[in-house]
Amino acid sequence: MIKAGQIEKGTALLIKGQPFICVEREFVNPGKGSAFVRLKLKSPSTGQVLRETMKTQDNAEEITVEDVDLQYLYNDGENFHMMHTDTYEQIEVPMDTFPDYQFFMKDGETYRVKTWEHQVLEIVIPPKVLFEVAEAEEAVKGDTVTGATKNVITETGLSVRVPIFIKQGEKILVSTETKEYLERVNK
Amino acid sequence: MNETTRYILFMNMEMTRKRGEMYRSIRSWLDERGYLEVFTPSLSTHLIPEHSIANFSTRYLSEFRPSKELYLIPSPEVFMKQILREYQHNIYQISTCFRNDEQIGDHHNPEFTMLEYYTVGADDEDSIAITEELLRETSLKGTREHALPPFRRMSVAEACMQYAGVDLLKTQRVGDLRQAALNLGLTLPPLPETWEETFHRIFLTFVEPNLPQDKPLVLTDYPSQIDTLAKKVPGKPYRRRWEMYIAGVEIANCYDEELEGDTVRAFYEKEYAILCEQRGRDGSVIPDIDYSFAELFDGHFPQASGVAMGLDRLLMVQTGATSLRDLILFRGSDMMKHYY
Repeated sequence: MIKAGQIEKGTALLIKGQPFICVEREFVNPGKGSAFVRLKLKSPSTGQVLRETMKTQDNAEEITVEDVDLQYLYNDGENFHMMHTDTYEQIEVPMDTFPDYQFFMKDGETYRVKTWEHQVLEIVIPPKVLFEVAEAEEAVKGDTVTGATKNVITETGLSVRVPIFIKQGEKILVSTETKEYLERVNK
Repeated sequence: MNETTRYILFMNMEMTRKRGEMYRSIRSWLDERGYLEVFTPSLSTHLIPEHSIANFSTRYLSEFRPSKELYLIPSPEVFMKQILREYQHNIYQISTCFRNDEQIGDHHNPEFTMLEYYTVGADDEDSIAITEELLRETSLKGTREHALPPFRRMSVAEACMQYAGVDLLKTQRVGDLRQAALNLGLTLPPLPETWEETFHRIFLTFVEPNLPQDKPLVLTDYPSQIDTLAKKVPGKPYRRRWEMYIAGVEIANCYDEELEGDTVRAFYEKEYAILCEQRGRDGSVIPDIDYSFAELFDGHFPQASGVAMGLDRLLMVQTGATSLRDLILFRGSDMMKHYY
């Protein structure tokens, strides 16, 4: 059992006998009410979406999962193709269960994957990922309305708003939770 | 200061200029209408007990007297009502308020700025008109239509009926509301809970996310089970309290202020008991309270309506920002990120 307040994006829960993964979590604190979390949960097998609001003090049933390391090979627009690094066995994971993960995972890298009864419940993505800037637009000088930011595209295709001083080919650290730019990394 | 901190500061300077402009317009609007601006402390020896608001405490130390626990105010109400009782006149304040244990996110920060104004001789209905006029005349240039008057109005019961299909008048008993929540597919803990808790589950899951956002929305007639210092409507299960939402975000809360000393005392006793029970379990701050606050309501407290408005959130919706991150300099989470 865990407290609902400890549920995070990626936490696996058993709800009415079915495994669900938390895909969105938002804290809500009504002006004159206790603290709640608004959850969007998804079933990895059926794709069913469940919306739940729980008090942060409510108990939730967490699933005990098995950890395996899988290498990410590529995606075909529908499935992520991943491979067991020890047996070379390949598996497919539906992309819509893990929205936007194609922007965070890099081809050839190995990810910790949580499984429950042979279902992939979660792919563990680090909270901060280092990306290379693949495309950067020219900054518009004197544009203070947007607070001196511009869009860049990472090597995985993720679009990020960054300060205007970021150039193509530079490395930037991005939060995978908020998709926000964190800092420039000069290495 | 590192590159990123400098960048965040730079980003927010335009917002800082707009914030100043907004505060100046609000102040001059209220000044012109005869509201007196008051200035009260951030540290208090006691607070109004509210079990849903977690507190910050700090310790006063002196060589010459025993040390004393002090509390950062979650709202200036505790002082402003004392002024109101003595001064019998319209007052307002813009002050920094502190609420602990809140998730730092797009709409929350542990310290924030609150505008609180009390109008003597007015009720919650009058406060709607005053607030509408205030926003009509002080909103920043460029504020989009959905954040500008006229306000839409809807009662909490109407909203629950429309967006959750729940008839609050027919579900006044705890068991009936629980059944309605189960029928909607909500998962409830096995232990019994209060009507208020089940109401919030339904409201936050089905109602709040679906409220109309094309205009500011005043949600009226809050259920009386949610205990506050707003007057109860005789013979009806609701209070003279409203909340204003803009773009789905809670911006303001208003009461027709409770005037009965006995009711205020009973509120203090009930809230403090819940607060002590909950916080005794998790070890969070239990503030001192002062029952003499109830003595302010001795028959000479003026009929009044008070509005509390979150100015950071108001600035956010007027400028079209989607997160407090874009307008708060040195936001709690930015300062604390190196400690986790």
